[in-house]
Amino acid sequence: MNRYEMIYIIDAGLEDSARKELVEKVSALIEANGGEIEKVDETWGKRKLAYAINYKTEGWYVLVTFKAPVELPRELERNLQINENILRYLVVKLEEKRSAVKPRANRPAPVAAPAEYAPVSEDAPVAEEAAPAEEAAPAAEEAAPAEEAAPADAE
Amino acid sequence: MSEDRGERRPRPRGGRRPRRKVCSFCVDKIEYIDYKDINRLRRFTNERGKILPRRMSGNCAKHQRQLSEAIKRARAIALMPYTVD
Repeated sequence: MNRYEMIYIIDAGLEDSARKELVEKVSALIEANGGEIEKVDETWGKRKLAYAINYKTEGWYVLVTFKAPVELPRELERNLQINENILRYLVVKLEEKRSAVKPRANRPAPVAAPAEYAPVSEDAPVAEEAAPAEEAAPAAEEAAPAEEAAPADAE
Repeated sequence: MSEDRGERRPRPRGGRRPRRKVCSFCVDKIEYIDYKDINRLRRFTNERGKILPRRMSGNCAKHQRQLSEAIKRARAIALMPYTVD
């Protein structure tokens, strides 16, 4: 079982009752294939699309998080593809350490964070530039731009 | 990076060398860039909807990779535009 997150867009022209039915149908499909629905989120609801899909400028966004065996997303996508009232869908696997909701600063610090959390101060570049210049003395002119580029890549 | 060609100046004084940028995701301690967080993602695209290069955004490699993935996902479900014209 993996955790997945799915977003799909329903045609905004669909009436409320038909839309609810469709959401039910999709949820039923997940459960029929051995999935467990955690949450169905329609807080976004009707939203303007960033670009027109099938000449439609608005869509109804539904976000579903669920646990499911690995075979399910494929079957789910096949079914979503068939339904013409579903304009788009996206199924994303959620990694354990990842969060289903929007990550914000108030989350506890991850273990790996200190490695690249480098507080930058004004004298940091000076120290970087001074050290390699000594070992690469002969081509000092070239050394300066070359190692300037290197720390930029490293970070 | 290529401003100081020729002259041996470790740090061009009064030059155009901008202050080194910091990866804003590292600063905010974000380990997963959410494709649904459009307001954040939008800051890393230009007005044409293109993803900004690392040299402009100042992101670290790890987060730039995640960011581009997130923006592409957002585009796929019409949260962000592929192009703006």
